[in-house]
Amino acid sequence: MSFNIEEGRYIILGSIDGLLATLGIIIGVSVVSASNAIIVSAAFGGAIALALTNGVGSYLAESTIEHGKLAMTEKSLLRKLNNTYVEAQSRRKIAKGALSSGGASFIGSLIPLAPWIFSVGSVAASVGLSLISLVALGIYAGYISKQSYAISVVKMVALGTLIVLAVQLLRISHLVQ
Amino acid sequence: MSQIKRIVLDVLKPHEPTNVEVASAIGDIRDVDGVNLSLYEVDQQTENVKITVEGTDVNFDLVLQTIENLGGVVHSVDEIIAGKKIVEEEETLHDRG
Repeated sequence: MSFNIEEGRYIILGSIDGLLATLGIIIGVSVVSASNAIIVSAAFGGAIALALTNGVGSYLAESTIEHGKLAMTEKSLLRKLNNTYVEAQSRRKIAKGALSSGGASFIGSLIPLAPWIFSVGSVAASVGLSLISLVALGIYAGYISKQSYAISVVKMVALGTLIVLAVQLLRISHLVQ
Repeated sequence: MSQIKRIVLDVLKPHEPTNVEVASAIGDIRDVDGVNLSLYEVDQQTENVKITVEGTDVNFDLVLQTIENLGGVVHSVDEIIAGKKIVEEEETLHDRG
């Protein structure tokens, strides 16, 4: 299965979602419990839920758009496109979008979770791994958009840092109480 | 039935599959020696193309089926050449005027 620019959108979207939402769960749960098992089960549950919602969400969104496009083409051609190459391509695009989005989300979720799965977990390791992944994602986004790699990487890392800081604020407010 | 040597079709098709894919798919049909696909009009959702298919014994139904499977609609069959040899259209006095 080859991935083009269209799938790139879902890979970036899904990865960021999985990576940062799971990181948020890990930071949040680590405030109330240092237990490896609790953090892994909470983050893993979140990862599965995110993968499913991203996959199903992009399936529904993509099928709405693709069926709309197909209907417009049918109107112009004055014929139905059932059981044609065009319809098959449309179905393939919907499936690829759902798989890319759900799959990327799940893989992205496993990155901050990895240190905890191997029982060497620390929030710093999760944050570090997530930032490295965001750099890689930034390079990928720069490659796809044919724009500056540096700007793309800075945007990704800034987004990640912002989310980590926001969740850290919750952690501080919890400690204050 | 004599063998069909050339078919010229006026086809309305969606932008996808591309003209390269359509020409290539028709070229893959058995007994088709060559395909010419010329684009002459582009609209928002569709494009009009003239497809010329030549071969030793072109299967007309198979060509139509391939075009339809690729989402195209044959508007008209503009030229058919059948028989033992290719006979070109002759220019008449009426055409010159």
